Amino acid sequence: MLLLSSFHSGNIPFLQIAREVIAALLIMLFLYAGLSKWLDFRTFIGEMNNQPFPKGLIPFLVWAIPSLEITIVIALVIERTRMVGLYTSFVFMTLFTTYASAILLHFFAYIPCSCGGLIRRLSWRQHLVFNFFFVILSITGIILQHRKSSKINLITKNSFV
Amino acid sequence: MKKIKVTIMTLAILLSIGSAFATRMHFDSKPPLLYYWDGHEFLPAGTYGVDFVCVVSTTACTYTLVNGVYTPYQLGAYVAVDAHKPSKNK
Repeated sequence: MLLLSSFHSGNIPFLQIAREVIAALLIMLFLYAGLSKWLDFRTFIGEMNNQPFPKGLIPFLVWAIPSLEITIVIALVIERTRMVGLYTSFVFMTLFTTYASAILLHFFAYIPCSCGGLIRRLSWRQHLVFNFFFVILSITGIILQHRKSSKINLITKNSFV
Repeated sequence: MKKIKVTIMTLAILLSIGSAFATRMHFDSKPPLLYYWDGHEFLPAGTYGVDFVCVVSTTACTYTLVNGVYTPYQLGAYVAVDAHKPSKNK
């Protein structure tokens, strides 16, 4: 209601809302992904063992991936670190997209299962589309955040003139 | 704007925490005893990700025993974890 009435009165620019919605969607993705891995850690270790990574990397990755996902969430929530969060989520999602593409292109000796929470129900092709959507979302978020930063800089510069 | 921002963020955080817990309850129920078909008979499969993995295939990877009937449980092809490790002779 509050959102609709504010929109109606023209108080809130559309881009400002879009920026918040993009950040919220990325927060939802990473918080859900990170938490579901920690809540079902044994299954996650099993799923990671199923992936074609060097076995020595698995103990590091099972801690690093969910930790990084939660760190991205924290960075996105705090306004001051949002740009870092957006860039990290872009890099992270690009890596996942590359990995999904490599699997679909039979880059590895075998095709592992596509696992991870509710997302484990998706096939690799669906994973690719899903990841690609979030890559585009991160890029849009970065562009909008840059616009906001340059606007603030302009206002600050003008206030000194 | 600040109120809207807080509302959007709170909703996003609550929704993701809620869905992570909701799916955990669904998946965390005690896993059933799994079997695989070796071409001749059904054998105990062991622990997923530790003893075996399921690689992409349209066949059934593992089965559960329900009322004396082996019912498909996971899709894919059964591969023992050792099969993924490179052979020393190669």
